[in-house]
Amino acid sequence: MTDMAPTPLGGARDPRLAALLRDLGARVRQGAAPEAPASRCPTGLTAVDRLLGGGFPRGGVSEIAGPPSSGRTSLVLELLARATERGEVAAVVDVADAFDPPSAAAAGVDLARLLWVRPPDVPAALRGTSHLLTAGGFAAVVLDLAGLGRRAELGARLWPRLRRETAATATALVILGDQRVARGFADLALDLAPAVPHFEGAFFAALESEVLLVRDRRGSEPRRAPLRWPAEKADAA
Amino acid sequence: MSAGRIACLLVPDLPWVALVRAHPELAGRPLAVAGGAGPRADAVALSPEAARRGVRLPCTVAQARAACSALEVRVASPSLEEAARCALLDAALSASPRAERAAPLAGLRAGEAAVFLDASGIGRCFGSEAGFASALAARAHRVGLPAIAAVAGSRSVARIAARRQLAGWLARPPGEPGPAEVVPAGGDAAFLAPLPLELLDPPDALAEALGRFGIRRVGELLRLPRRALVARLGGDAARLVALALGEGQEPPPPASPEARLEEAADLELGVDRLEPLLFVLQALLSRLAARLACRGLACPELELQLRLAGGGRDARRVGIAAPTLDVRVLLRLAALSLEARPPSAEVEAVAVACEGRPLRGDQLDFFRPAGPAPALLSRTLAELEALCGPGRVGAPVVVDTHRPDAFALAPFAPPRAAAGAVRESAPPYAPARTVRALRPPVAARVELRGGRPAALRSAVASGRILQLAGPWRTSGNWWSEAERFAFEHYDVVTGDGTAARLRFDPLRRCWEIDAIYD
Repeated sequence: MTDMAPTPLGGARDPRLAALLRDLGARVRQGAAPEAPASRCPTGLTAVDRLLGGGFPRGGVSEIAGPPSSGRTSLVLELLARATERGEVAAVVDVADAFDPPSAAAAGVDLARLLWVRPPDVPAALRGTSHLLTAGGFAAVVLDLAGLGRRAELGARLWPRLRRETAATATALVILGDQRVARGFADLALDLAPAVPHFEGAFFAALESEVLLVRDRRGSEPRRAPLRWPAEKADAA
Repeated sequence: MSAGRIACLLVPDLPWVALVRAHPELAGRPLAVAGGAGPRADAVALSPEAARRGVRLPCTVAQARAACSALEVRVASPSLEEAARCALLDAALSASPRAERAAPLAGLRAGEAAVFLDASGIGRCFGSEAGFASALAARAHRVGLPAIAAVAGSRSVARIAARRQLAGWLARPPGEPGPAEVVPAGGDAAFLAPLPLELLDPPDALAEALGRFGIRRVGELLRLPRRALVARLGGDAARLVALALGEGQEPPPPASPEARLEEAADLELGVDRLEPLLFVLQALLSRLAARLACRGLACPELELQLRLAGGGRDARRVGIAAPTLDVRVLLRLAALSLEARPPSAEVEAVAVACEGRPLRGDQLDFFRPAGPAPALLSRTLAELEALCGPGRVGAPVVVDTHRPDAFALAPFAPPRAAAGAVRESAPPYAPARTVRALRPPVAARVELRGGRPAALRSAVASGRILQLAGPWRTSGNWWSEAERFAFEHYDVVTGDGTAARLRFDPLRRCWEIDAIYD
């Protein structure tokens, strides 16, 4: 009687394997699949999203640093607005208690989908961020350390853990501050230049700034993009 | 003929069991529970270890100590006993919706607590009636009560079957659930026949009279002509015969359990420091959480009541971001409340209570954006609130007022969205006037020229004012001395590059910066 047990496939040169791959078509590749591009959390601002390769990376740590009145908060609110617009939930860990609900509502943030966490200090903020990442399901978590001066550097030993926890999620962790604090633990870092305010008659009408991509794990060269508020948004997807 | 089945969940010595439930360190020790203070008080319950060392009821505390020199004596606690009875009912209701407490007994059975449940057909849910009885005993054990479970055709027989297991209950290893017994359907008479009459609790005079006639077993009693027995020995004999025939075959009615659960403890010595108080609170919260879990509920808000030395009371509510059963989170929130507002005197008694709420369940959808899992989100919200303090975690709300610094927080409960939906109200342009609020506003020293700000000095912006817009005047709540406000706002750009929102408060005559444009 003929032995009916299947003969194991040989190596890469096995003609039966080649025939099988040919029959299955382009959907199947031999060897490890290429790393899928990380999905992004867009801001809706064309210039910024082009600079970031589509938006802030999910499962990655990003930093936005800049002086007061550089447009940092406006940029972050656009990120939150786009996330909540898609029906996702987001969170703000606000150490300085600076979050302004009317500004967020005016930017288009769906406040019912935004969790506002007001911790008493930086270590509590980092622990709270860890809780949010562990819970999962948030499109973006913004850790606002702006306006704290040197206190923002407290708890620096927690950055490796936060990076690991973020990598295990589909959440974009965005750290907002006067200076960059996560350093080598950030996948992406943006610096905002001091903005130039514009008045039209008796009204404060616009803010002009520039965003510089200083660090990107994809290996992109540093690049700049102008920012102007009010900024025209890209069409909703 | 009725085929109903009744289960009895019985705790033989409730005063002792309730005390050990609150103070587990007393388990395994020779212990007597007294009805009052002093050596002449009656002992109302004994621990198995005390009984093994020769202490017998009825006796006084002095007599009990004479029988066992190592005996510990504690005064019975009505609040602990009531909490234990409620916990027993909770355990019963977790197995059957028809359950009710048995009426309290007198005499030697005064320490016995029992709950009757409708067990008709329940065997199908637990594999068998024996499985049901074992599960019932296990559930009682989870709420801190080593109860005996028995199933029979009537309440009286089920109770007697439970009492028969007393020896097994006393001999069980500490920390193990109580025993369980099942009297087969239609077998009540055969079960009772060989049993001693004392299991039916006859009055002493009747028991003595029956003993003189040589009637010592239930079967012997039932063989006597009933009419002649009642005519000779009176109504007590009729009641005894009814018990022996299986009194109480009607199932308990559906229960409407109270949503409010409470656990309390009296402290032997007044407590004036936080750490020992938290130790007591942790035990109370653990028992409360066990009862909530038994009923499939969680704690949405904690009521904390402290009885203080001197007769004072301290009652407070501790809000929780989301219903939770996590004792760690509840304890942390209670500790924050006590640290923020310490009791004004020594604490003599503590009670915790809550109106249980069903744990939130949600069914996720393939076609909608997946958010945090509801159970995990509830726990995370509670942990965040324990970390940040009450009232500091939630969804922001824009308040309908002219007051520029007004805001509110609502419980975070994101609504579901249809897939692909885009909010129609989303503005097409990202606005320029996004601010970072300064809470509290930062004081500023302002130099005026021509009645308008020309330079300012503050912790967040300083220098000559290069650009200025305003004033915009707002005011409100003029009818309230405490809440009225009035501001004159200016948008300024200072020499250090900061665009800020400056305001003058004409009521307090001061300049402040309440926001930074960013």
